Amino acid sequence: MLTPFLSGAIVLIALPALMTFALAFMRYDALTPPVWNGVENFTAIFQRDVFWIVVRNTLIFALSAAPLQALGALGLALLLHPQRRGAPIYRSTVYLSSVLPDVAYALIWLWLLNPLYGPVNLALAWAGLPTPAWLVDPRTALGALVLVAAVRVGEGMLLLIAARRTVPSSLFDAATIDGAGAWQSFRTITLPLLTPWLLLLLIRDLAMAVHSSFTPVYIMTGGGPGYATTLLPFLIYEAAFTHLRIGQASAMMTVMFAIVGLLVWMVSVLMRRWGVFDAL
Amino acid sequence: MRSRGLALPAASSQRLASVGWRRRLAIGALVWQGAAIVAAAIFLAPLIWLIVASLQPVGQPPLRMLNWFPNGIAWSNYVEVFRIAPLTTQLGNSLLVSAVGAGVTVVTASWAGFAMAQMPPVIRRWLVGLALLLMLVPSSAVWLPRYILFAAIGLLDTYVVLVAPALLGTKSLLVLMYYWTFRRISSEMFESAALDGASVGRSWWSIALPLAAPTTLAVAILAFSHYWSDFVDPLLLLKSAQRFTVAVGLRMLQQMDVTNWSLLMAAVVIMIAPVIALYLILQSSLRGGANLVQRIMRLDSKDDKITTEPASAFESES
Repeated sequence: MLTPFLSGAIVLIALPALMTFALAFMRYDALTPPVWNGVENFTAIFQRDVFWIVVRNTLIFALSAAPLQALGALGLALLLHPQRRGAPIYRSTVYLSSVLPDVAYALIWLWLLNPLYGPVNLALAWAGLPTPAWLVDPRTALGALVLVAAVRVGEGMLLLIAARRTVPSSLFDAATIDGAGAWQSFRTITLPLLTPWLLLLLIRDLAMAVHSSFTPVYIMTGGGPGYATTLLPFLIYEAAFTHLRIGQASAMMTVMFAIVGLLVWMVSVLMRRWGVFDAL
Repeated sequence: MRSRGLALPAASSQRLASVGWRRRLAIGALVWQGAAIVAAAIFLAPLIWLIVASLQPVGQPPLRMLNWFPNGIAWSNYVEVFRIAPLTTQLGNSLLVSAVGAGVTVVTASWAGFAMAQMPPVIRRWLVGLALLLMLVPSSAVWLPRYILFAAIGLLDTYVVLVAPALLGTKSLLVLMYYWTFRRISSEMFESAALDGASVGRSWWSIALPLAAPTTLAVAILAFSHYWSDFVDPLLLLKSAQRFTVAVGLRMLQQMDVTNWSLLMAAVVIMIAPVIALYLILQSSLRGGANLVQRIMRLDSKDDKITTEPASAFESES
């Protein structure tokens, strides 16, 4: 009964992952058989300026979207965790934005952020605030993408609400009796006990931010203006499926893994430093 | 210790204090309601604007001010969008792919979860580790080699490639959900069934699955939504336009006419409606998504024997 699962894991995940790694060292265009060419793919991509711009974009995107997402999830979890009247409805409403299909979500935000007719700019203009061109302006385009990605906090919020519920209320009662204020009990009880989950969330969001960036970039900006919003998954897609440079695409994918792996490793070192693993 | 004369004013002042305390609680609840409503409204606003945008008449100048319906409500957009795009075909394709994907997922994920729950603890822990590891492998990492593999077998441009992930239960989270459910069923039940001559398949079908009905509902809904929402796989692996699913259909519609926002937004509403409906069904059957996460977190822990709530375990420790 495990056969479908295990064979699926091998054929659809393990084998493809190994293939990516192998193809990174081959010249392959899908038409002629692959030829071994050593590290040529890597030297080729490292020499392109575009590649470094895209790596920089990807780092900026992941390192701003993921922490914002985790902070937003924390804020909402703290606000919405009490079992008060209406709380389930408020939680569902916040979570709703996370169940929307990626394409639909990207198209909705493309409309919301339309510089001339989008509701966001209409509201900003009505309030007398500046109305940036969002996705059309190279200075704000990446920021707009970060904003759109960072607003999807539903899953993180649910995780942190569940984590917050595991904190026994007796701790807070004891703190109140000892005269601790709301801020003090947050800083000395809630935050330390939630930190393991927060860091876990941050790891997940870092990896997800990079890997799930393809659809929003593809739908909302096409990587533009210029290369302002081209992130690694989109560049890999273009190299593989538009230019049929499959070897180079695989090499870039290997680099992307290295970057995501490095970020995740850095956070996990931080977690060990904090003794987070003992708490889990 | 106190004399009777002093006790009375003390009691009344206590009552006064409790009235003040109650008022402060009421104000606190009010402030909380306000903050929560604002938070919920921020997340609901995009959906409201989506519906408003989908009902604007086509061909009218776009809104230049915050105004709900300056040119009237055009319900006809929801008919018109079916005329300009092959939405009916695409919805049908999506329905077929999602239904098959969800059906196969329920079988494979419950099989895997059932087998895992019957394994000796060492293998079991190893398999849970494998499932967690598979969860970390992002889908974008396997686009390209999967494309090459499917092209080599000659399966490109068929629905088989779209539902192929159902073989391993679509997402290993779904396998783990079944595993966690089956593990809570007492093994004596299966042992006595085996003594009565029931095969493994029979115990799975007649004992395990009926007991796991809520999990099956959740897995089916999550898998269905996954295939319904899947954009990248059909984009990369399908070639013929008549096979496109509605997710790719939205992209086609976007490219067809960039200025015609109302119709595009109407198509978006049509596409997300089933996902939201299924989510609400799941929500009401699980009584809040946080419960599901709570269950997952409890069972995620390294100790294999945990059956109590984490909160109670924590409290008995402290």
